[in-house]
Amino acid sequence: MAQAETALTRRPTGIDGLDAVTRGGLPDAGGVLVLAGPGCGKTVLGLQILAHSIPRGDGGLFVSFEESPAQIRRDAGSFEWGPALIASDAWDIIDGRPPIDAAAAGGFDLDGLLAIVGSRLESIGGGWLILDGIDQLLSLQPEPRAALDQIRHLNDWCEERRITLLLTGKRNAGEEGRPIDLEGIEYMLSTVLVLSTELVGRRLTRRFRIAKYRGTAHTPDELPMIMDNAGIHLPFGRPGHAEPVSVSNERVSMGIARLDQILGGGIHRGATVLVSGAPGTAKTTLAAGFASAAIERGERVLYLSFDELADRIVRNAASVGIDLQSGIDAGQSMIESREAWNALVEEHYIAIYRWLDRFRPDCLVIDPISALQKAAGAYGAYMTTERILGEARARGITTLLTSLTNAESRETETTLSHASTLADTWITLDYRVHGGERNRALSIVKSRGTAHSNQVRELVLSTDGVDIVDVYRYGSEVLMGTARLQKEHEMAEQGRREGVERETHRRGLERAIEQAHLRMQEADSEARRLERELERDQLGDADATEKYEEHRREVRRQRAADDDATQDQGNHS
Amino acid sequence: MNRPIDQQSDQDTDGLVLFITGDSPRSLRARANLAKALKRAGSDAETVRAIDLLADPAAIGRHSIFATPALIRMHGGEQHAVLYGDLSDAAALDRFLAQHADHAECPPES
Repeated sequence: MAQAETALTRRPTGIDGLDAVTRGGLPDAGGVLVLAGPGCGKTVLGLQILAHSIPRGDGGLFVSFEESPAQIRRDAGSFEWGPALIASDAWDIIDGRPPIDAAAAGGFDLDGLLAIVGSRLESIGGGWLILDGIDQLLSLQPEPRAALDQIRHLNDWCEERRITLLLTGKRNAGEEGRPIDLEGIEYMLSTVLVLSTELVGRRLTRRFRIAKYRGTAHTPDELPMIMDNAGIHLPFGRPGHAEPVSVSNERVSMGIARLDQILGGGIHRGATVLVSGAPGTAKTTLAAGFASAAIERGERVLYLSFDELADRIVRNAASVGIDLQSGIDAGQSMIESREAWNALVEEHYIAIYRWLDRFRPDCLVIDPISALQKAAGAYGAYMTTERILGEARARGITTLLTSLTNAESRETETTLSHASTLADTWITLDYRVHGGERNRALSIVKSRGTAHSNQVRELVLSTDGVDIVDVYRYGSEVLMGTARLQKEHEMAEQGRREGVERETHRRGLERAIEQAHLRMQEADSEARRLERELERDQLGDADATEKYEEHRREVRRQRAADDDATQDQGNHS
Repeated sequence: MNRPIDQQSDQDTDGLVLFITGDSPRSLRARANLAKALKRAGSDAETVRAIDLLADPAAIGRHSIFATPALIRMHGGEQHAVLYGDLSDAAALDRFLAQHADHAECPPES
């Protein structure tokens, strides 16, 4: 048998996540059983598949055995894709509802159904046949075996014509993979999907599972399923970002120069920062500063708030000199507010995912991520947080998360949000009470890939902006606020006094040096005088000596004359 | 004498209509079982129209009959009851025919 005849080929459903977990769609020939309880979305699933397949040139037939065609159209019309589906002629609805008082007196077959389905599909040309609630009809079969034979006949008929048959059936609540009617059908068909619902925290959560998909790899896990205006999604079934960005060594600012300095020049682009703290410790302010710095760099910022409305965040940030409004006005920044309790965790996730797709931010703020713990959901907040961060990292988005800790219980610092283990940099904000006042303390618990200070510092807010200042140790205490200011004043006074003393000493030295110079000048002058005097003396001595020698010579001359005269007299005498 | 079940196009006339699909085994059994039941009920003269959906697929849509064989009862131009199957359950078929007989005695709704 040729490979082309044996290989499984798939027909894409176009549904977010479903094509990913089925590795490309449902079998393009033969039956797929969708087992579900009431309100699980099996009818919507069929309609949405048709709606998404029509733009791709596919189409099909929807046979309803439970609801009227008008009701089916109303169902479709409540979704974003409904109007286009209703207007399309690439599909059709057949009212397959048996009459109210229908009964059976022996076995029957579905040849009539196949006759009309074949005829309609031939004119429409689609590859989908959706039989919604056919168990309503087949349950009239006196012999269960005969009903299964009909399903098998339907399956074979569709396989021969390369039609994907989607059969919906009612799920047995006790045994989630078993149908109420048509027992054994789940063994006959190659693919079985199970849709279920559960109340979690009084909210309805929907789940999806591939109970069976013969001959192909698939995701067998139970996954949360969302139904909103866009229809059904499997948010956690979506594949990761296709091409994760490479790791960056570039540093970006947190919006506070001193904090950047402490972090070794800022945080790495694409990193995740967690800012945790009790209420009022300025987590949102720090987040706003981070956002503002990104806007100043010309980057796009998505700010998701679970606590406050956008205008209040902008106003409060402005009160400490942080400008978010200009970024919003320029279309560079978007602040979205959501109520955590008012949606499922997976609904929040899909909303964030859509914003990431539509807005394509460079920086993301989720303030606070811990709010997700208030939301019910099939998946916990931890798993959702991990998926959000994974998606942000893959897209190279620099992310700042805030997380609320319980002021009364410090141990929550290590357990909060699970995000602390995922974050590259973890900054904690705290209150320090001393001298009758509270002050905000900031410390860095960790910062991967960065030499950072472990010192506790004070976070100071003012109309001039946000700053981080060094604190003083006083015994076992750390001085902040007024005590810090007082200490700073004392230190400044001491410095001033020491400065004065140093200046006085300096001037004394200068004076002494000057006096010494003066004394040196005087001594020099005296030396020169004495030298001159000496010179004069020496000149005088030379003159005197010469005079003396002259005198001696004169004396000798005189004596010599006397001697000559004496000698002459002697000679004459 | 039993009259054969006529194979006709469906007209919106009162009476019984048997939807079949050609000469499938169930269709043949339904014809035979219906004929026997009519005889038991003494309704030999009953006219039963048979519609072959393979020959007339448009009738499927008109009557929303997707499972065959199917016996329907028309009264006052409207479809009043459906009995699916090869009519091998004689008791169920007899009850259906008895209800039809009772219904047929009532004047059509105006």
